[in-house]
Amino acid sequence: MRNKNVKKLIGILLIVAFSSVIIGYKIYNKPHVNVAENSADIAQTANRLFIDFSTDETKANTTYLDKIIAVKGVVANIAEEGEKRIVTLQTSDDFGSVICYLTKEDSENNAQIKEGQTLVLKGICTGFLMDVILVKCVVTNLK
Amino acid sequence: MCLFLVAFTNAQERFLTKNGMISFFSKSPIENIKAKNNQVLSIVDLSKGQMAIAILMKSFMFEKALMQEHFNENYVESDKYPKATFKGNLLDFDKITGSETVIAIKGNLTIHGVTKEMTIEALTKKTAAHIEMTGDFFINLADFDVKIPSIVKNNISEKIKVSFRFHHKPYKK
Repeated sequence: MRNKNVKKLIGILLIVAFSSVIIGYKIYNKPHVNVAENSADIAQTANRLFIDFSTDETKANTTYLDKIIAVKGVVANIAEEGEKRIVTLQTSDDFGSVICYLTKEDSENNAQIKEGQTLVLKGICTGFLMDVILVKCVVTNLK
Repeated sequence: MCLFLVAFTNAQERFLTKNGMISFFSKSPIENIKAKNNQVLSIVDLSKGQMAIAILMKSFMFEKALMQEHFNENYVESDKYPKATFKGNLLDFDKITGSETVIAIKGNLTIHGVTKEMTIEALTKKTAAHIEMTGDFFINLADFDVKIPSIVKNNISEKIKVSFRFHHKPYKK
């Protein structure tokens, strides 16, 4: 009788230990946010986004940081950095813009984009230096 | 950031990059942690021999999402301190030539709201079209008041190796 209980207890303990290892492993390896598969938290024009950051950066940080932003704007410049493309969206300000760093896949998929084109891009906002920065961007208004 | 702009206007020999790279590496017996930031803003003003760098903490990309989360939320508290900055003077900046030369930059590095004076060496090369600077240095987490909980003490090194690569281009409007 006693033996049976001990065996049962060991069994339960093993299951608990085993599942915590799996859960721990899953948490440790949890994937990055997939921008393409998630809908945007905020939709905004490039101009408005820049104005929000240049007028009150602290407030804009609480609104936009870490969020998926869908930004609409006209392409002012396209640059390549390694395998990734960097799309600069113009604003009404001479100095400032919204700089979107495309993912590797989306850089390949959107080789045809050019200056002057109106784009909607979705990406994660990491903050404001001279420009508003969005990373892991995907183009959403083409294809 | 506007302060930077004001401080650097009217300079003839201004070079800038918005895609500077900074990465860091933590080596420990349990795991190696690496993160890379490709959105670093760096400005070099050769007429004054000054350099200014601004870094968004949330732009550091890690291999694992959990590491990135811990870095931002627990260690550097990037909601509270979204940027790291470095402002310094290039010592012997007249020695910068077309071939790679080691130049020392003495300045103030601010991370996690804590400022520390540092001298960093950079392999520097200048042509008419660009100034390239590369190098690495070590920082102590304790110097910047970054606290690592004892439970993960063995996962994170106290000394972090920081590498940088800036490809500055002449600044024009």
